[in-house]
Amino acid sequence: MSVREHELSLPVDQVAIRELRAGDVVYLTGEIFATAGLPTHDRLLRCIDGEEEAPFDMSGGALFHLGSLNEEVEDGSLRIIYMNPTTSTRFNGHMPRLIPGLGLRMTGGKGGLSAESAKAMAENGCVYLGFLGGGAQIITQAIRKVTGIGWPEMISHYRIARIQVERLGPLTVGIDAHGRSIYDETHTAALGRREDLLQAMRAQRDAVETSGDA
Amino acid sequence: MATPGADQLRIGSSQVPITDDMIHTATRELYSRSLRKVPEDAKEGLRAAMKVESSEIARRTLDLQLKSAELAERKDRFVCSDSGVPTYFVKIGSKAELDCDLKASIRSGYEELVDTIDPPLLKHVTNPLTRERGYHGKDMPLVSYDFESGADYVEIICSPKALGSGRWAALELFTFPSLEEIETYVLDVAIKAGAQHCPPVIMGVGIGGSFDFCASMAKKQTLRPIGQVNPEPTLAAMEDRLKTAVNGLGFGPMGTGGDTTVLGVHVDYASGHGFTPVAVCFNCWINRRTSVRMWNDGRMEWGE
Repeated sequence: MSVREHELSLPVDQVAIRELRAGDVVYLTGEIFATAGLPTHDRLLRCIDGEEEAPFDMSGGALFHLGSLNEEVEDGSLRIIYMNPTTSTRFNGHMPRLIPGLGLRMTGGKGGLSAESAKAMAENGCVYLGFLGGGAQIITQAIRKVTGIGWPEMISHYRIARIQVERLGPLTVGIDAHGRSIYDETHTAALGRREDLLQAMRAQRDAVETSGDA
Repeated sequence: MATPGADQLRIGSSQVPITDDMIHTATRELYSRSLRKVPEDAKEGLRAAMKVESSEIARRTLDLQLKSAELAERKDRFVCSDSGVPTYFVKIGSKAELDCDLKASIRSGYEELVDTIDPPLLKHVTNPLTRERGYHGKDMPLVSYDFESGADYVEIICSPKALGSGRWAALELFTFPSLEEIETYVLDVAIKAGAQHCPPVIMGVGIGGSFDFCASMAKKQTLRPIGQVNPEPTLAAMEDRLKTAVNGLGFGPMGTGGDTTVLGVHVDYASGHGFTPVAVCFNCWINRRTSVRMWNDGRMEWGE
């Protein structure tokens, strides 16, 4: 079966999100939010609890685990020099609450998220998009404008950047809004193959030993 | 590991010992180069994998990885935003003449790199006690030293280590393990890492020696060029078995399924006591690695 491709413009509604299936390829145009900070995710949880104010209203939006070198230029404008995904599973403890709490339609990064996050995505109409790790130039090329930097007092990749992108991608739907996670499926499949693979290695070792005896 | 015919840079006049200037330049340049170019053997590994990969999404990812490498190289920009923690391996030949404070020059080369590199690095050096991040800190950069009998050069390899693949390394101690126990452990570490380390990866495995020596062997095996056959037949056969088995797990490039999870499994061993450490570590697909050899006459030969 060939891979399905989608061109999506942000913001997207739940109907468009539910159209996406794990394994599809997506190109995104519009406004996204990006951060790679663990302390940032802690702060976002505090925002949900009403202890702090979030720098942006991200409801209905896309928050990705992307680290960027961002800066304010002399004329006051903002720019990103490079941007690339970070390991999303670092935020397994945050995302099940942040997805409904912030009202996210999309999240993503690299490596996927836990089953608990996948459940939150299915309940709230959200997908996880997988970026290429080590894809800094491909990803950075899609940036059209940096429209805001939240929490500028933090180090660069911890800040939340608000960015206009054009055809950001290709991104792979790793977890869809129907509870299907490629990451969980591949992990389960790997565990299922373990015994057969060990047996195959055993047979290869035995063959070497037998030929050595001859 | 320097490639013959690689570009050369000569500092100073001929027949002088290896100087601070050379070490400083080497440290600064190696790190910068390692961030911008994926080594040729890794690119060749990706191309070879594309020919046999059965999953369409996996082939697309491999193709995208090659495009990413090509774009970074052409634009002279970083392949990945995680420039890692600076890590150097120094080998000093017994016939190399040194007139330098090696340790101080490695540090000053790194410090100059941090101040001058374009584009700047993100702050990844972390104090593990406070989680504060910056460019400097205790024991930065991380350097290990070794010697080579008969060689008339100093070799430095730089392999900055980032979080994605760095965090999945593991070591366990066994007593008189069978090959089956060793290989089962390596496969289980691969299952635990899954696709978190930006596959297809290089796996380095160390068997035996002591706790610290074993970890070092595993790490050095990730620096061995892909496709170089292990001279030890027992290990060459083990590498083939493990590569097939790990790829058989089906995680695939970036974890979206496929036949390509490793480009190579590289194993080394050392004699030890009956307590046998087995160490496993990973290098992500961009396989960052640059090297330089420096001779007494001021020659610097750059390689991968």
